[in-house]
Amino acid sequence: MAPLLEVRNIKTYFYTQDGVVKAVDGVSYDVNRGETIALVGESGCGKTVSALSILRLVGEPAGKIVAGEILFDGIDLLKLSKEEMRKMRGAKISIIFQEPLTSLNPVLTIGRQISEGMEFHKNMSPSEGMEEATRLLKMVGIPHPDRRIHDYPHQFSGGMRQRAMIAIAIACQPQLIIADEPTTVVDVTIQAQLLELIRNITKELNTSLILITHNLGIVARYAQRVFVMYAGNIVEHGKALDVYHAPYHPYTAGLLGSVPRLDEPRKARLQPIEGQPPDLIALPVGCSFQARCAYSVPQCLKEKPRLLEVAPNHYAACWVSQKELKPWQIL
Amino acid sequence: MAINKSNIANVNQRPVHTLWGDAWFRLRKNKLAMAGGIFIILLSLAAIFAPFITHYGFAQQDLTAILQGPSAKHWLGTDGLGRDTFARLLYGARTSLAVGIFTQVIVVGIGLPIGAVAGYAGGSLDNILMRFVDVMYSFPSILLIILMKAILGGGIYQLFFAIGLVSWVDIARLVRGQIMSIKSRDYVAAARAMGGMGPYITERHLLPNSLGPIIVTVTFSVPQAIFAEATLSFMGIGVRPPTPSWGTMINDGYAVLFSSWYQVLFPALAIALLMISFTFLGDGLRDALDPKMRH
Amino acid sequence: MADIIIEVNNLAKYFPVTRGLLRRQKIADVKAVDGVSFAIHKGETLGLVGESGCGKTTLGKCILQLIRPTSGEVIFEGRDLCELTDKELVPVRAKLQMIFQDPYDSLDPRFTAMEIIGEPLRIHHISKGKEYSDHVLELLNLVGLAPYMAQRYPHEFSGGQRQRLGIARALALQPQFIMCDEPISALDVSIQAQIINLLDDLQQKFGVSYLFISHDLSVVRHLSDRVVVMYLGKVMEISNRDELYKNPLHPYTQALLSAVPIPDPVVEMKRQVIVLQGEVPSPMNPPSGCVFHPRCYRAFGDCSQVVPLLADAGGGHQVACLLYETSRP
Repeated sequence: MAPLLEVRNIKTYFYTQDGVVKAVDGVSYDVNRGETIALVGESGCGKTVSALSILRLVGEPAGKIVAGEILFDGIDLLKLSKEEMRKMRGAKISIIFQEPLTSLNPVLTIGRQISEGMEFHKNMSPSEGMEEATRLLKMVGIPHPDRRIHDYPHQFSGGMRQRAMIAIAIACQPQLIIADEPTTVVDVTIQAQLLELIRNITKELNTSLILITHNLGIVARYAQRVFVMYAGNIVEHGKALDVYHAPYHPYTAGLLGSVPRLDEPRKARLQPIEGQPPDLIALPVGCSFQARCAYSVPQCLKEKPRLLEVAPNHYAACWVSQKELKPWQIL
Repeated sequence: MAINKSNIANVNQRPVHTLWGDAWFRLRKNKLAMAGGIFIILLSLAAIFAPFITHYGFAQQDLTAILQGPSAKHWLGTDGLGRDTFARLLYGARTSLAVGIFTQVIVVGIGLPIGAVAGYAGGSLDNILMRFVDVMYSFPSILLIILMKAILGGGIYQLFFAIGLVSWVDIARLVRGQIMSIKSRDYVAAARAMGGMGPYITERHLLPNSLGPIIVTVTFSVPQAIFAEATLSFMGIGVRPPTPSWGTMINDGYAVLFSSWYQVLFPALAIALLMISFTFLGDGLRDALDPKMRH
Repeated sequence: MADIIIEVNNLAKYFPVTRGLLRRQKIADVKAVDGVSFAIHKGETLGLVGESGCGKTTLGKCILQLIRPTSGEVIFEGRDLCELTDKELVPVRAKLQMIFQDPYDSLDPRFTAMEIIGEPLRIHHISKGKEYSDHVLELLNLVGLAPYMAQRYPHEFSGGQRQRLGIARALALQPQFIMCDEPISALDVSIQAQIINLLDDLQQKFGVSYLFISHDLSVVRHLSDRVVVMYLGKVMEISNRDELYKNPLHPYTQALLSAVPIPDPVVEMKRQVIVLQGEVPSPMNPPSGCVFHPRCYRAFGDCSQVVPLLADAGGGHQVACLLYETSRP
């Protein structure tokens, strides 16, 4: 069955005073119905920008999607008019942002914000919307929802605000939810609550989920497939099981080796990845990761590797792995 | 220990950027600010070297040449007592610039310490000082100035003092706000954790980091002071003749507004241009000193 | 076990909540830290873990007297630091240093790297001239930065490099103890590992003790010899590193450990996540009895009435929970 979402070779650039920032430089991924995939990477890798590109929320005129296609249920989102795109957002595809404090309107009640989308997309009346909002708040586990729909965002705690954001996101029963670092700002125990909630809801509504995060643990717990991003490109992707146990890209292996694990006996030293992420305005010729890679060969400096299949349903963009067809050891 | 690749990064290629150097670089790119700055400098030079530019004195009367329009002899014409307008403008510039700048000395001299102490000390001292500031703020400034003049006399130095005395409130509030916000920064906590005490921290951390907004505010206060002097002189309670002042010139010209309107036009234009120049400069400074550094 | 260098006894910090304009009336206390006791040994890393609102940062600042505690003692070199005036603390401050969370906020943007690292030396009038600059360059080298970086300004460094500057500054006076307040939370994952290794190496080299405060359990466990778990201003459990994961005694610790996802899908598939109900209550209105009882999945009758004591449940493993006999007063 065809995937629900197919991002094909997207390029999103930002035009700044200092030069062109190639935030997303030829990225492709897909999401099947009911599946949860993860976009993993550190700050600046382009994961958030690629997700915003799906919803065409990239700030013009500085930011532009210069190439590629985004096929949602067969329709190219980039070719839709602004009106048609607006009908998509919130209804078919919705997004949960990282910081609920800034993504919720401080002067509207929570109830109004939830019902707004439904009034627009499903032609509900405000009173019907508020009723539905109450039901949604209950669904996301907020106690006394009939009272709380009249509260303002600042009267909610951080965890509850995120729940409200989840309620807004599922209000119109979207087919795809994008969660952009949804739990970075909350505590670990609240994070567990929220992620379990998201998991249950997506299972119940059979919604697809794109989970964007830098946390390797969250990915391992919740995602079926993983896309690892670095400096605007996907460097590796495959099933979570495969990528974690047999990474074919040195960056993935490096990341896994530099994260301390609770369940393993304490290692004497972590194995960090040396150096800093590259400047997106002045990307080097050849592989973007080369400067920090302990295994580079001369070809890495000359030509940028492309994603090729290195194992069944497992892709990596690394000259060495593509030649040797052997995974990297996690130190 | 791993040293090799961590150091390379973005640091080596670019030349050293001191903070003031970077601010100056950005200011230079702002054409309006530069235009304003140049005008101020040129006017100051003209005011200083006035005797070399025009042979007329500002009080020199020529009753045979009353209310003349611009001509080869009197470039901007003459006023009701035959005094050369251009000369009076140049000498008037001295007064305006002096007022603009010297009042700021008083403003900063009073406002900065009060604001700094209030901001750093906090608690009841802050409370008391700020209530005092509130009281000063609610006084109608003109009345206070008239009061000052009645007590102190009518000279130009008394005028500086009077205008300064009613204007320090904004700086005090600004400095207090800046210091309070910087006080809570981690680098101040770090300095305390190292053993730094109040005066050291204020001198080396708090004030240098507040300088930017203070400079900008002072630059914006100058046109206000200039305008205050012009207004007071226009009303007859500013500087006393024969001290030249653009405000007095407007007052004098007001009487003959409909016949010799240029008597009002030239000094008014001068005031406007000087004020705009400082405003552009202030805008430029604010942008140049903005801590959002280029990366 | 090595000697104790810092002893914290019953430390408490309450922030009064006041009302009224001129006559401030107190209506409540925010009990940020409410009776915390533990000891730090020479050369040891004591991890302090807990979620937001648990008081760990306030506790760290209280130990360093950056915030003056409401009550309790902090014993260092035979003296109670809480009793000393700011002036008397100055020589002591040379021995107790701090690293901050925010690499962007903890460095004065108007100081060069040289001035930042050298500031402690200047405040304490330690060295001058060439000796001073040599000392600073040595520190720069120690944290893995090149000498030419001494003239740069903070905004020219990356986050990880700024943290290195902060660490170099903390080391300048060769302190016995460094309080690390979430020093890596603001950094990328791959950079975190670099800084963790650096801290580790420096401890091996200089024998400095750390109080490592973090909400990231995995990192705390990696670096620490012993771990303190806090919740709402009180200590729930103190154990050594290995015991913590193998045998967590307190239900909160168990929930915390279960909530941390492990970067391994196979392991994760087999795990059961303990999901705590409800939100963290406000420290202005802490629950009666055991502060954790409203969210505790093992709470029973007495838990809402009796405050459990932090007591040794065997082998140096301390816990404050009525499930264990030793915690009953």
